[in-house]
Amino acid sequence: MLNAMSATTREEEIKAVGRRAGARVVGIAAASAFDAHAPEGHRPADMLPGAKAVVVAGGDGPTAGAWRCPDNRVMEITGYDLRENVAVHAMADHIEREWRHYAIQAPALPVHGHAPPMSMMLAAELAGLGTRSFAAHIILNPEYGLLYYAALITTLELAPDPPLDRPACPHPGCVAMYKRIGTTPCLRVCPACLSGRVSSEGRIEESTYNRERCHSRAQTYGIGSFQKALLDIVNEDDPAQRHAKIHGDFFTKSLQAIGFYRDSIAQCFECMRVCPVGRKYRKLE
Amino acid sequence: MAHLPEDARHRLRDVALKAGAVVCGVADAAAFEKHAPAGHRPADFLPGARAVIVVGGAAPRAGDWQASPWVLQTMGTTERIQGVGRRLAQYVEAEFGYYALYLPPGTESGSNPFVSLMLAAELAGLGSRSLAGPVLNREHGFLYWSAVATTAPLPVDGPEDEGACPAPACRQMWERERTTPCLSVCPIDGGGCLGGELVNGRPVRHSYDRDRCATRVHTHWIGGFQQVLEATLNEPDREKRKMMLYGDYFTRTLWALTYSSTNMAQCFECLRVCPAAHGLRPLE
Repeated sequence: MLNAMSATTREEEIKAVGRRAGARVVGIAAASAFDAHAPEGHRPADMLPGAKAVVVAGGDGPTAGAWRCPDNRVMEITGYDLRENVAVHAMADHIEREWRHYAIQAPALPVHGHAPPMSMMLAAELAGLGTRSFAAHIILNPEYGLLYYAALITTLELAPDPPLDRPACPHPGCVAMYKRIGTTPCLRVCPACLSGRVSSEGRIEESTYNRERCHSRAQTYGIGSFQKALLDIVNEDDPAQRHAKIHGDFFTKSLQAIGFYRDSIAQCFECMRVCPVGRKYRKLE
Repeated sequence: MAHLPEDARHRLRDVALKAGAVVCGVADAAAFEKHAPAGHRPADFLPGARAVIVVGGAAPRAGDWQASPWVLQTMGTTERIQGVGRRLAQYVEAEFGYYALYLPPGTESGSNPFVSLMLAAELAGLGSRSLAGPVLNREHGFLYWSAVATTAPLPVDGPEDEGACPAPACRQMWERERTTPCLSVCPIDGGGCLGGELVNGRPVRHSYDRDRCATRVHTHWIGGFQQVLEATLNEPDREKRKMMLYGDYFTRTLWALTYSSTNMAQCFECLRVCPAAHGLRPLE
């Protein structure tokens, strides 16, 4: 059993390491908390035997300046520093070095289809960093809104942070809008991908998200577009057409997107552009 | 109303240098109008942009220049300076309360950048163009650049009066031989990329074959991938196709494309011979 004093010390110490390495927020979930939500094979202990805790780091997305850019192509390729991954590695190193317990970065990238080995969204929720939203079920932090999440799994026992008692979505402004006209900013801007209802208590009552459609819009340049263009190129019988497709901007940008430049990670931000959660950080001078 | 601290410039410089930059300057956003076409100026990407913060660094180390060309080809370094730019953009917004946009380093279309980082470095007084092409800093020589447009009314630097190019040794060589080290190693009339002269001791470029240079500088980059892919698809012989896909050239190209970032650039010859490109500090 953890001593309350030492628990506070070690948790705050680990979180401070993460924040110093660039995380905007850090939270802790109990590894066992995943059992009720994640299927077998996708829980922390499936990745690291004896896992006790999951430490989650949230990193900034695009800057407020990037949100203001009138050229949509800039938002497509800029604004990410992916510091949450750096923060997770800094904390994992710290745990192994200072606390002599195992720590690994939680695997998040899909190994088949869209299914991640471990859900970073679930990890962020369980660590009290945010809740799911109408907007593509993106996890919203009540203070900062859209953040990007990474996590580590450790055998070190850490007291978890409680999940949020009040969801970040819907924002009071969105509840008022729903009462007035029966929709919210995100549902209105993207009825193709999103639908949902707000309950009389101002909570998400029902939410539907068309992931396949959203994916084809949010990631027009990336692995999917590379595969699509490559198939088209391979199936093209005319050498001149093939030459044009191989050296054209679409295939070139797809290659840049899958390269280490981190160009073109996502192309559609419209549901997030209109979301009021965390907007105060996007209104500057 | 945000208040810009008096020491904002110093704080930015400290953050930049701690994050890995070796130089940091500020350009007037309005100064781009004289030099960059519409659609390629800071205010086109950040409405109300007043300044552009520019950082330079992450150049090949002195040891890299000493190594063989084959080794220098595998030293991918440019990405390190881009991380500094991203960090500065977040710092400006968090600490000063003004909008900041990390200017994307990639290309808008073809070989055209969104905003020229070389121009930004020049306007921030961090260097000037050389006969070889790259912007050279007077103290550190060849550097990679990253830039952040901001609405913060930062005090700006002006372009420098006298550039690092030509170095005194190059002036002497020009007087003697009517060429310089970079022009002689890659002459445009001899199958190379560079053409120019020194006029009143200043470098004047007459010609630069960007397309030829690109095929030599990025032999293992995206263009290399596209070239092999096309050649493979045009190859009717299955055995030859297999050799092309498993051969060293395509394998290195795949390394270059992925996160390992090796083989980013392959030709440094104009800078290898440039006396101004390697900074002022000799090593043992």
